[in-house]
Amino acid sequence: MKNPDLTKIDEIIAQAGTTPDKILPILQAMQKEYGYLPQPALEMVCRKTEITPAAITGFSSFYDQFRFEPAGEHTIRVCLGTACHVKGAKTVFDAFKRHLGIPEKQDTDSKRQFTVEPVACLGCCTLAPVVQIDDVIYGHVTADSVGNTIKEYLAWYDAKKKNEGKAAKQLKASDITSGEVRVGLGSCCQARGSGYLKDAVEKVIHETGIPAVIKHVGCVGMCYQTPLMEILLSNGKHYLYAGVKPEDARDILLKHFKPKGFAGKILPMISKGLDTILTGGEPLSIPRHAIDKREKHVADFLGRQKNIATEHCGSISPVDIDEYIEYGGFKGLEKAVNNLTEDEIISEIETSGLKGRGGAGFPTFFKWKALRSQPEKERFIVLNGDEGDPGAFMDRMLMESYSFRVIEGIAIAARAIGAGRGYLYIRAEYPLAIERMTEAIKMCRARGFLGENICGSSMSLDLKIVAGAGAFVCGEETALLASIMGQRGMPRLRPPYPAQEGLWGKPTLINNVETYSLVPWIIRNGGAAFAEMGTEKSKGTKVFALAGKIARGGLIEVPMGVTLRQVVEEIGGGIANGLRFKAIQIGGPSGGCVPAHLSDIPVDYESLTGAGAIMGSGGLVVLDETDCMVDIARYFLEFTQNQSCGKCTFCRVGTRRMLEILDRLCNGQGKKSDIDQLEELAFQIKQGSLCALGGTAPNPVLSTLEHFREEYEAHVNGKCPAGKCKALIEYKVTDACIGCTICAQHCPVGAIKVMPYKKHEIDIEKCIRCGSCKGVCPEDAVVVE
Amino acid sequence: MINITIDNKPVQIPEGTTILQAAEKLGIKIPTLCCLKDILPITSCMLCIVKVEGKRNMLPSCATKAEEGMVVINDDPSVAAARRTALELLLSDHAGDCMGPCQVACPAGMDIPQMIRYMSEGDSSGAVKVIKEHIALPAVTGYICPAPCEKACRRGHVDESIAVRLIKRCAAELDLAESLPYKPDVSPAQDKKVAVVGAGPAGLSAAYYLAQEGVSCTVFDKNEKPGGMLRYGVPEDDLPRSVLDAEIEQIKKLGVEFKQGVCIGTDIPLEELKSGFDAVFIGTGKASPDDSLKFSINSGTMETDIPGAFAGGDVRKGLKLTVRSLADGKKAAVSILQFLNGEKVTGSISPFNTRMGKLEPEEFKQFPAAVKKEERNKPSDFSDGIDKNQAVYESAFCLHCDCRKADLCRLRIYAQEYGAKPTRYKGSHRAFRYIDEHPEIVYEPGKCINCGICVHLTEQKKEKLGLTFIGRGFDVRVDVPLNRSIAEGLSKTVDEIVNACPTGALAFKGK
Repeated sequence: MKNPDLTKIDEIIAQAGTTPDKILPILQAMQKEYGYLPQPALEMVCRKTEITPAAITGFSSFYDQFRFEPAGEHTIRVCLGTACHVKGAKTVFDAFKRHLGIPEKQDTDSKRQFTVEPVACLGCCTLAPVVQIDDVIYGHVTADSVGNTIKEYLAWYDAKKKNEGKAAKQLKASDITSGEVRVGLGSCCQARGSGYLKDAVEKVIHETGIPAVIKHVGCVGMCYQTPLMEILLSNGKHYLYAGVKPEDARDILLKHFKPKGFAGKILPMISKGLDTILTGGEPLSIPRHAIDKREKHVADFLGRQKNIATEHCGSISPVDIDEYIEYGGFKGLEKAVNNLTEDEIISEIETSGLKGRGGAGFPTFFKWKALRSQPEKERFIVLNGDEGDPGAFMDRMLMESYSFRVIEGIAIAARAIGAGRGYLYIRAEYPLAIERMTEAIKMCRARGFLGENICGSSMSLDLKIVAGAGAFVCGEETALLASIMGQRGMPRLRPPYPAQEGLWGKPTLINNVETYSLVPWIIRNGGAAFAEMGTEKSKGTKVFALAGKIARGGLIEVPMGVTLRQVVEEIGGGIANGLRFKAIQIGGPSGGCVPAHLSDIPVDYESLTGAGAIMGSGGLVVLDETDCMVDIARYFLEFTQNQSCGKCTFCRVGTRRMLEILDRLCNGQGKKSDIDQLEELAFQIKQGSLCALGGTAPNPVLSTLEHFREEYEAHVNGKCPAGKCKALIEYKVTDACIGCTICAQHCPVGAIKVMPYKKHEIDIEKCIRCGSCKGVCPEDAVVVE
Repeated sequence: MINITIDNKPVQIPEGTTILQAAEKLGIKIPTLCCLKDILPITSCMLCIVKVEGKRNMLPSCATKAEEGMVVINDDPSVAAARRTALELLLSDHAGDCMGPCQVACPAGMDIPQMIRYMSEGDSSGAVKVIKEHIALPAVTGYICPAPCEKACRRGHVDESIAVRLIKRCAAELDLAESLPYKPDVSPAQDKKVAVVGAGPAGLSAAYYLAQEGVSCTVFDKNEKPGGMLRYGVPEDDLPRSVLDAEIEQIKKLGVEFKQGVCIGTDIPLEELKSGFDAVFIGTGKASPDDSLKFSINSGTMETDIPGAFAGGDVRKGLKLTVRSLADGKKAAVSILQFLNGEKVTGSISPFNTRMGKLEPEEFKQFPAAVKKEERNKPSDFSDGIDKNQAVYESAFCLHCDCRKADLCRLRIYAQEYGAKPTRYKGSHRAFRYIDEHPEIVYEPGKCINCGICVHLTEQKKEKLGLTFIGRGFDVRVDVPLNRSIAEGLSKTVDEIVNACPTGALAFKGK
């Protein structure tokens, strides 16, 4: 291992500063520079800054982002979020390690080419299981596709290296002639290759001279159809294509646009001919991809939705501030700054009935008002963009696709509470959101929506982005503030609330991304208009991330009060593969599972809490009959106990003990008394925890115990009714086997011998219960017992 | 000023006072492990939680500021249950024993490691004091005890167990050879009389400990000389009578009166004896001459179903060891004293203990004494009896696997108070580690409860490296930053952090 170049440290310190609160940017810069935190570099930072050794070790060891050993050349992050979990992410994770020959307790292969690590959630839940290799996201990865995924990535990476510096000529809006091509560039779309698609479209335009411009649009929410490409012609007609592959781009474009000049005409024809010959068959049929907004599934998906936070969904560019302004953007801010007093703004928010969308549902106006009454005049505003719930990706999408709206909301709030400085704390796992928000801040400053004299007034607001470093607990507001100040993200007792004592002891307003996103609409249209939507106590709309075993997953915004069943069956199109709808997990690790028979309850804060779940931040993971509820509870406990900050006894030790009991149950080693102890511990942890992470950690267990107790009891008796818990099941081949050998070819561990035209058998000793055979069998001849 | 009530008792305190401070003012003791004056509330142990009317969850009293009209509930079964759970969770992640396995195995509960520490410094009279807190006849048992302690000794997994019995005998015989052997302090005489029936080990032991409390004791024994089975059952080759006589002499020196040749039951009926004394202890051994002496015994308190009568030793079935009879005698003395003082008879409370159980061979290497092996003289090679030099030398091989702060550890004190069961929650836990590289202190991370006091103190006092939390979640550990050693990390704060550490994680070297 070569010695790290320590001269870089001086540059990093010069850039970041030397005060103790600069520890996060300094360590992030070091991690980026070296790929890990070399000990001599850490010592050097301590010598050259005010950061102490205790702080640097304490801080760096708290956050997942930092490594102390060099990583491989490429990093494979396997998402273990809820939606990925129910679709077999652990098997995929194991498969990557097996494929690369990485031993247990290590994460890097012997050639130091790949490091494989788990990640709490990449927020691409509709594409589960999801894997990220360096910056590229792959969706629907399976245990037996890991080899191809790695191969594909390496091919792409080599090609990219070769082509560096040969950037294609980008057409500007001024060149516009006959139309535009919209490519969805949300993370989900990118995961399904919209980045490749965009490159392909650019290439086609470049080669053919088609007079069209490419436009990036944010997330449409229809993640189940990604990548999406929309063609808008100058005659006003538009065509939406779903599931578009890069190789389809040329055919689609040439169908709608005429190439420019002779070369433009000839080139595509030649290469098209070649493609046809090479693939030896018919060219891809285009109509397969075309979808019409009047089509039933699209109408169902979009029908019940009401776009407030996601206003102009699918038609607005995430990076074009002019367009945002054209669509009425910053009208709310202008009104707030020039026409409303602070109290009038707060009163509009009060009228709207808006409650914090981060999870707890605390009335927003109340927080704002509390700040107004503080004697201290130096105040901070903070955006909580540390969306950590596995299975939730609303905030990621809002920041990626509606960055200007988020900033407008923050600015209006800052005006109401009198804050002059603020921080946007965004989790590190969302690089695109960080990039878009950073750009958006720059643009807003250039246009006078941030900085000095906002909208011509005396108001000023300076916003900075802080990238989180991988700690779920930092979504808890007091932990988040500690993290911004350069401390370990450990929550503290409230009161004092951040509104009283926040950043550096000053009054601080901290709201969630979605909450801020709703503010511009409320100020523009009035609180009463917002309050017209929703139920008696829960007003307005709520954005949900719909994922799991659903036919149509995606991001939806619906008025409060629609029922869970409407969400699952109408919007989501019911369970995929015709299986039975079993339950819906709401609110992530703090929430619970609402069984199918209770799914007629309306979605509002009160009804969900009544059913043992919580609104939470809005992740909805739909479960079918093959999902084991004990396994789901175990999954969440594994998550929370891993993410506990480790300060308080009940949470630190208690959640581990709960997890161990659940492990025993899932491994068939549980006893009857384990269920009682689990319940007792859950109760004690709930009442004895200091912060919301610990206080709500037992919820997934309590709600599944309430609604699915018989499944726990079955596990004590050595049975997993859903056929999920590996220690309690066996895969078997039935007489329906036709001897096609496909299962044997896909078995990653060689537990099935190739026996053409004979009934195959599974070697139970070798079988790792990954389910690959069951997935590929054309005759459904593999069963779980 | 603010008015609140705690357990229905009103108290007035200035604004900004915590519930814990308010309780202190009322004289109500709320347990806490992580709270320290002059540093901000850390709220990590969560032992100080209380109920506050109108609040859904319990609140840590160390950090919760009193608010006007607050109704706080501290003395409540649900609060006690929550605190017990917190203690049991901490104990489930605790690698370290309160008492050494030798002490746990000793029927008399003798603090063997402490005796050995005295001996290793050549202080045999200090050692005898420790022994005689629990064992009235140390030299005698030094000859005939089958030494269950040695079977339990951890050193046995390294090479051979420590020769506890011979070390003890050596200390006791050295003491008897003094012109003035060790005599415990005797409390001023109480106006209480106890009759002890039988001068065997149980009776002798009961008399020895009762006499120390100022109780007037008369021993009635049917034989010519006191000693019971020790004199009339054990062959003289195994136990020299001079040793027995010398140790009985020490008991007489406390003012115990012996009436030999009197058989209670035949010569004096028990009822008659009882009328002349405030209480009776029956330690007549297995063969009771009179069937009228039939009773049942509560093995916890040594009370019998005859009011005012206690019993122990071989009268209980299946008790064969002398050391068990000695233990019974001491236990009965405690109960008799409670009875005489009109208190509820509970007997002696067995001290709280956590056990880390069997150690892995790797873990033994943590003990500095375990590394020294070559130079040891194997106890199995000892001919019967060792001299002082040998005893001192052998003592140096004790692993000292008991806790250095067993009597100061607040985790243990509260665990005893709340009746915590250390094995209630089972699961993965810290590894046993014993870090003694620092010249003054020993750090045992396995006993750390992550309270955070030392981390805060070293930061506050600007220790150059100090201590910090490392990692997150269940695996958080306290250690010196940047992979430095404890010796490098701690200098000026040593005294303060050792004294503030609520458990045995940070302790001074030496006794």
